[in-house]
Amino acid sequence: MNAVVAIAKTTVGEAIRRKVLLIILLIGALLLAIAPALEALSPRQEMTVLRALTLGVIQMTSAVIAVVLTVYMIPNEIERRTIYTILSKPVRRWQFLVGKYLGAVSALGLMMALMTLVMLFVFLITRKVDGVSELAAIAKVPFAFFVQMSLLAAVAVFFSTFVSPIVNFFLSGGVYLVGTLFDSFFKTLSESKDVPQALKGVAIVIHLLVPNFQSFNVQNAAVNPGQGIQGEGIMYLNLALYAFTYIAILLIGGIIVFENREV
Amino acid sequence: MHLHFVGILAPALLRLEDQSLNLAIETRTLTKTYKSRSGAINVVHNLDLQVEPGEIFGFLGPNGAGKTTTIKILLGVIYQTSGEAYVLGKEAGDIEVHKQISYLPEKPYYYEHMTGMEIMQFYASLFGIKDDDKCRKLLDRVNLGNDMNRPISQYSKGMQQRVGLAQSLLNDPQILFLDEPTGGLDPIAHIEIRDLILQFRDEGKTVFISSHELSDVERICDRVAIINKGEIVAQGRLEDLLVGGRIEVTANNCTDEVAASLRGEDTLVSINHGRMIVDLPDSLSPNEVVLKIQTAGGEIVSVIPRRKRLEDLFLEAVGKDNKAKGRQLKSMVGSTEEAAS
Repeated sequence: MNAVVAIAKTTVGEAIRRKVLLIILLIGALLLAIAPALEALSPRQEMTVLRALTLGVIQMTSAVIAVVLTVYMIPNEIERRTIYTILSKPVRRWQFLVGKYLGAVSALGLMMALMTLVMLFVFLITRKVDGVSELAAIAKVPFAFFVQMSLLAAVAVFFSTFVSPIVNFFLSGGVYLVGTLFDSFFKTLSESKDVPQALKGVAIVIHLLVPNFQSFNVQNAAVNPGQGIQGEGIMYLNLALYAFTYIAILLIGGIIVFENREV
Repeated sequence: MHLHFVGILAPALLRLEDQSLNLAIETRTLTKTYKSRSGAINVVHNLDLQVEPGEIFGFLGPNGAGKTTTIKILLGVIYQTSGEAYVLGKEAGDIEVHKQISYLPEKPYYYEHMTGMEIMQFYASLFGIKDDDKCRKLLDRVNLGNDMNRPISQYSKGMQQRVGLAQSLLNDPQILFLDEPTGGLDPIAHIEIRDLILQFRDEGKTVFISSHELSDVERICDRVAIINKGEIVAQGRLEDLLVGGRIEVTANNCTDEVAASLRGEDTLVSINHGRMIVDLPDSLSPNEVVLKIQTAGGEIVSVIPRRKRLEDLFLEAVGKDNKAKGRQLKSMVGSTEEAAS
């Protein structure tokens, strides 16, 4: 366990100093800060626009950070030969991979927390929320996004054990897009009786393999004041369990590939 | 009769088995093959290595000979295609063995945001060691005590190499694998690292060095193995391998006729404006050469015995089938020696 924690801590240290990630983070924070001004230009002077916009910025920025952070993680360690000094110590390969993943997720969490703080600060100073309860409702959404991004990071870590960073970037990005935009489409297709059996089979496989990233988009209730989620606690728990199951499967898959891979 | 034979053979076999278990490193017909579009490539082929405990073992070979591949197999980061590899009597890659070995890669990279001390703490934590005092002492030992709180990005190449050596001592290893430990270092850093390696041997550690620096290897190694194209071409104690030196006789006022009479299968003669240099193996007596020169009116300037050097052995072993590469290596060795001196 010492090794996993040590590797995770080092990964966080590396990640928060990577210029490309800091630039993405800066752009995200900047967009959040100027969001009220953009809203003023919009014809619809409603709170919902600002809320949807800021949460959207957090989600998209986090997705880019999650992929960029993880696709280079393992290849960089091999290219810089740090992996050899680490694996020649009494460190098992699974400890290395899990440590890297936990480090990436921790760095991602830190960056997302920072963006959330910027967003809440913007809401507070522009007085776009009515009271602490509304602020708390908005603050919960980035948590669901964080679980979603942890799942996306696991997808990228899995691919990073056997494909190059560029291929991984497009693969992970593709899985995220399919899981966000087309999950219900593949679900409908897999349940439909009017489509050919082969196509139905493909739809079933995609629907089962690709995580449903859409289910983490829980911002509707926070964006539209007055709306609520019934059994919100259970929903968040289910989301966490769903993500955890996929993350565990992806990490186990990654470990199996990485154990047999020559570095 | 049969029982008598078994009685003699059994202890001998047991001794052989014991010897195998006592070796620090052993490979038996180790082979590593990579598949490519043009077919299978044997990077390492039928490699048999034996490294005794407590010795400094030099593993030499030109670029691409299979040195780093062999080290990676011994560390368990890549896997052999066939054959066996043992470290401290256990299969290479065994996690228990990793507690007793250390590795310093060629051109090591460390997380640049960390200080020397943080690097030490990080590697110590991989062993479950929480002992800042030990980290400090090791950094002191490699003369980095005053720089331990500076970021590694501000370290020179020599300092980074010394941090590497310090981290490799954290677990008080029985075996140190050093891949080009003095490569690209300035002469002072070069000598410092060399002295540290000698200290490791004095402490009873086995040091396995892969290196191009033949002068270093000749000075510090007890035994060497030379690998070329994945195969061992020479292996043994340096004093056994470096037998067969040369004698150089220099004389003035010599004629071309004397030079021609001295030329032989293994005797090299060069003459320029009456100054002649005769290079003959030390198995031949120089008296006859000296006598011939004097009889013909030549004047002996010097008779210098020159012992065989590792460079000669290396070029003999590696350069046989690749003379161009051999010349390149020779010039490389020469420049290294000039830098070191």
